[in-house]
Amino acid sequence: MFFLKKYKIIIFIGALLVSALIMISYSLKFGAEQSFLKKVALETVAPVYKIFNGSIQGVQHAWGNYFLLVGIQEENQTLKKKINELKAVIVSYREGYLEAQRLKKLLSITDRYPYHFTAARVIGREQATLFRTILINKGSSDGLKNGMPVMAYPGLIGRLIDVSRNVSRVLLFIDENSHVDAIVQRNRIQGIISGAGSRGMTLKYIPKTQDVQKGDVIISSGMGGIFPKGWLIGQVISVDRQNDGLFLKIDVAPFVDLSKLEELLILSSAETAIE
Amino acid sequence: MLHYLSLFILAILLIVLQSTVTDLIFSSYFMFEMSLVVVIYAGFRLEMMKGLVLTFFLGLILDCVSGSVPGLLSFIYLIVFLCCFFISDFLDTEKNHVIALFSFICVFLKEIMLQAFYYLAFDVGLRPYVFAVIFTQSLVVGLIAPIFFYVMDRAGIFLYEKKV
Repeated sequence: MFFLKKYKIIIFIGALLVSALIMISYSLKFGAEQSFLKKVALETVAPVYKIFNGSIQGVQHAWGNYFLLVGIQEENQTLKKKINELKAVIVSYREGYLEAQRLKKLLSITDRYPYHFTAARVIGREQATLFRTILINKGSSDGLKNGMPVMAYPGLIGRLIDVSRNVSRVLLFIDENSHVDAIVQRNRIQGIISGAGSRGMTLKYIPKTQDVQKGDVIISSGMGGIFPKGWLIGQVISVDRQNDGLFLKIDVAPFVDLSKLEELLILSSAETAIE
Repeated sequence: MLHYLSLFILAILLIVLQSTVTDLIFSSYFMFEMSLVVVIYAGFRLEMMKGLVLTFFLGLILDCVSGSVPGLLSFIYLIVFLCCFFISDFLDTEKNHVIALFSFICVFLKEIMLQAFYYLAFDVGLRPYVFAVIFTQSLVVGLIAPIFFYVMDRAGIFLYEKKV
């Protein structure tokens, strides 16, 4: 017993070394796969491995997802930028297309009539209760003069009233100061087209005995020397025969949507100008 | 008894942590043997019985987990532990460069022993890049070992108000 106590450590070291050597010898002789100890150790370690690997894989997965999200965010921003650029391109293309359509209509007018036209762009609108005028980007430097008729597809819309060097004002037919001699295309009845503001125009001085119907087309009569004869002005939208006066009360709508005017033509032949 | 059981559990945790974290960081290019640093630490700081038990457990579990010949790493670890234990009387084991250098040598020799065993037992030839890998592995462990020693010493002071 004394011997064991005295040499306890040495015996323990020896026992461990010998057991290790026995395991090595056993494994070399019978193969490591046969080892019962190995199987027990693996079974013991396996749950711990499972927990660690699960945690690490979770972290790796989260890390990977984070980078994936960062990548997606960058890609998203790039794509959004691209979409905005493409939207801008589409808008410009659409704008170009619409402008081309409008200009095509205007050109069809210039081809149809043997007049000299000047094209202009609308740069401003005066939409007060009494005055319905628009500003255009052409003036006397372009050969424009007061009184020249202004038209937009498919017909007349007004005349120039103030012409400066580079800008002009157009008095629209719907302005209450506007009075134009006109005729009903179907039966050639003559009257005066007057502006009625937001209600459009009215055809005045047509006796109640005359046959004017809803849908009749109103054209310029050519009287007065300002507007050429036979140009479209508007269409009758209502005829009131029940009023107390001597004349019919006829409401006329312009052919052109004046609120959407962007380009127009000025009939700039010298004969139409008012000196 | 409880103390030795806790050593066994700690050994398992260390081995599992070592193999999983090593795989994560070094992508299986080489193994970072924290277990060997623990063996060196045990040789320098722990008493003989506890150190022997911890070393044997570490070696045995690593043997079983790594797929090497059972008992081989236990044997080598025991040799390393005994070397550390007996040499610690002659070295200033508080110095970082001593720890680093000794750890470097221990890892290098352990790997050489391992290669030699496989060469002798299974006639596995040494590949040219093996020494480069062993050197790098030893260098990494040598650099990490002083940090491990410092952390363990601080933990000992924190827990027992003295070094282990």
